[in-house]
Amino acid sequence: MIAPVIAVIAAVLAFDAFCLISLVRSRANGLPKWTWALIICASSPWGGLAYLVFGREDKVLESPELPGWTWTLGQPEPPSRPEPPGPLRDRPVLALRPVGRGPVTIEVDELTKRFGPVTALDGLSFTVRPGQVTGFLGPNGAGKTTTMRIILGLDDPTSGRALVGGHPYRGIIRPLHQVGSLLDDGALHPGRSAYAHVLSVAQSNGIGRRRVAEVFRLTGLENVADRRVKGFSLGMKQRLGIALALLGDPPVLMFDEPVNGLDPEGVRWIRQLFKSLAAEGRTVFVSSHLMSEMALTAEHLIIIGRGRLLADMPTAEFIQANARGDVLARSPRPGDLASLLAAHGATVAPEGDGGLAVSGMDAPAIAGLAARHDIPVHELTPRHASLEEAYLDITKDSVEYRAWSQAGEGTAAR
Amino acid sequence: MTTTRIRQADPPCPADTAWPGLAIRARDVLSSEWTKLRSVRSTYWALLVAAVVSLAGSMLFALPARHGAHLPDPVAFSFIGWAEYPVLAVGILGVLAFTSECATGQIRTTFSAVPRRLAVLAAKTAVVGSLALVFGELLAVASFTLAQALLSRQDQGISLSHPGAPGAVLAAGVVLVVVALTGVALGAAIRHTAGAIAALPVVFYLPLALLSLPSPWNSRIDRFTLPVAAYQVVALHPATNLLAPALSMLVLIAWPAIALAAAAILITRRAA
Repeated sequence: MIAPVIAVIAAVLAFDAFCLISLVRSRANGLPKWTWALIICASSPWGGLAYLVFGREDKVLESPELPGWTWTLGQPEPPSRPEPPGPLRDRPVLALRPVGRGPVTIEVDELTKRFGPVTALDGLSFTVRPGQVTGFLGPNGAGKTTTMRIILGLDDPTSGRALVGGHPYRGIIRPLHQVGSLLDDGALHPGRSAYAHVLSVAQSNGIGRRRVAEVFRLTGLENVADRRVKGFSLGMKQRLGIALALLGDPPVLMFDEPVNGLDPEGVRWIRQLFKSLAAEGRTVFVSSHLMSEMALTAEHLIIIGRGRLLADMPTAEFIQANARGDVLARSPRPGDLASLLAAHGATVAPEGDGGLAVSGMDAPAIAGLAARHDIPVHELTPRHASLEEAYLDITKDSVEYRAWSQAGEGTAAR
Repeated sequence: MTTTRIRQADPPCPADTAWPGLAIRARDVLSSEWTKLRSVRSTYWALLVAAVVSLAGSMLFALPARHGAHLPDPVAFSFIGWAEYPVLAVGILGVLAFTSECATGQIRTTFSAVPRRLAVLAAKTAVVGSLALVFGELLAVASFTLAQALLSRQDQGISLSHPGAPGAVLAAGVVLVVVALTGVALGAAIRHTAGAIAALPVVFYLPLALLSLPSPWNSRIDRFTLPVAAYQVVALHPATNLLAPALSMLVLIAWPAIALAAAAILITRRAA
C-alpha cells in the first residue's frame, strides 16, 4: 500500500530534479518562460502556480560583453587563474577608511580579464584625473563595461588591479560617498517605486531621506517618485540611475553609456551636468561609443579597442592630431603637379576623378609652388576629416594592436 | 533645465567626519534590505498565499476528527501540513530576496553600494528571517487556534496552556523561518527564480525518497530530513524512534545553515 505512493512521490521528485538540472545546464536557452512554467507545473502544482505568480518579472539578462551566460555553479574555475602579482595579494580584507573628500583619481593598472578563451581586457592601464570629464571610448565589445565593472568590484580581473583614490573599491566603506555610478539603465526591480528604490540604496550607505528628495529634484523626477519603475521610459530610467549616482555627493562619478535613450533635451541636460560636476573638481568618467558626443563633453579621451589602450590624451590634442585635413587639387597637368609637390615634401594621392589629395602642405603653399613652376591649378579645396573618421581610423587599427599613448611613443603590441 | 546645485544640503555625511562603526553599517544594510522587502508586492503575495494554504491545511487535517477518528497527536495535527503547504510560498519569499535582484540586474546596484557581499547576504537573511519569524508565529497561533476549535467539538482539542503546547506552537513558527532562510540561500546560490523555486521542493522532499532505501538505512536517514524533523518539533508526543525534539531542532537549523554557507562561498566568488 505505501510502496506505490512512495514510488509516485519519488518519480515526481526525480522529475523535479530533472527539470532543475536541465534548467541549470540549459544556460539561458531560448525556451520561452511558459514552457518552464508548464514543466514545473506538471511536476508539482504548487511550484507551477508559484512560478506563474512570482516568476513574471523574471528575465534572462545577457551582458553584451560576456560570452554567453555566466553560470558558474558546479562548473570548474577557469583553468588558469594566475595568482595576482605583488600588492594585489594583500587586498584588504578589513574595510579601509573612507577615501575622503579631496580630488580622487581612478587608476587602472595592467588590467587583464579573460572569459574562458576570450580576452576582454589585455593589460589596460590608464588614470582618470579629477576636475575634468574623461571620455571612455571604444567600439562595442571593446571592454568598456568590463573595465567599469572591475573598477566597481563587481567582477574580479584575471590580473592587474583598479583603484579608486588608491583603494580597491571593495575595501571602501559606504562607497556611494566616494563613487557614484550608472552602469545600466535596466538594473531596477520593475515592481518597486522609484522612491523606494532610491531610498533603499541611500539607506545602505547611511544617506538620509532629505538627500533622496534632493536627488529627485536634481534629476527632475520629483513628480514620478511614487510611480513604479515598470512604467518608466528609458530616459526616465537613465535619470533615475543618475539620481542614484549623485546620492552620496561623491568625488568620483562613472557613467556607462549615459546618453542612450535620452531625448535631445536630456542629452543637453546631461552634458551640462557632467561639465558642472567636473567644474566642481570631481572625477567624471563617461563611456560612450560615439566620438561626436564625447568631443562635445569630454576634455580628455581614453580610447580602447579589443581591451587595449589606443589613445589617452586631451580632446583638444586629439582633435589637433587627428582632425587634420588635406587639400583637393585639380590641374590639367596632374602628373607634373604631383611630382612637383612630392618633391617638396607633400604626400600626394590621386583621386578617382583626376583630382589630387595633397596632405602635408596647405593650399597657399600649393598655389605658390604651382605658380612658380607655371602649372595651372583649377581648384584648391581644403578638406577636414571629421573626428568621427579619425576615431574610426584609430579603432580600425586596433585590429593591429597599435597603441598610442599620450607621450606619443608607440607602445607596441605585447 | 537650469544648472542646479549638486552639493548636498545635509550636514556633512558620516563618511566625512567619522568612520562608521560596524553597528552603524549593519543598521544601514538592514534598513536598506527592509525597504526593499516591503516595497515589492511579491512579499505580500507570498505571505498571503502562505497564510491561506496553512490555515486551509490545518482545517483539512482537523476535519476528519469530526467523523470520530482518533488523533494520536492533537498539536501535530494543527501543523501537519506545515512541512508541505506554506513551504513554497514562504520559500519563494526567501528565494526572491536574491533572484528578483539578479533577474533585474539590481544586484549590481546593490553590490556597488555595499561591496561587502556577505553583509548583503547577512542582511537579507536577517530581514527575511525576522519577517518569517513574526509571520510564522502569528500564523502558528492562528492555525493552532483554528484546528483546536474544530477538534474541541469532538472533545479532542487542547488549549494553548496545555503542557507542551506553547513550545510546539513556537517551534512551528521556527519551521517557517527555516524554510524562508533555505529559500534565501537557494536564491543566492542559483540566482534564477525558476531554478531556485524548482530547487525548493527538491531540497525539502527529495530526501524523503531515501525512505525507499532498504531497511535499516531508510529509518537511519529519514530523521535528518526537514519534514520529519519538523514533525518532531511540533508534535506533543514526538515519535520515540526518531531524533529527540531538541536534536530535530538542530537538524532544522543545520539545513539553512549549510545552504547559507554554500551561498556565501558562491556569491563572494562570482561576478555580479
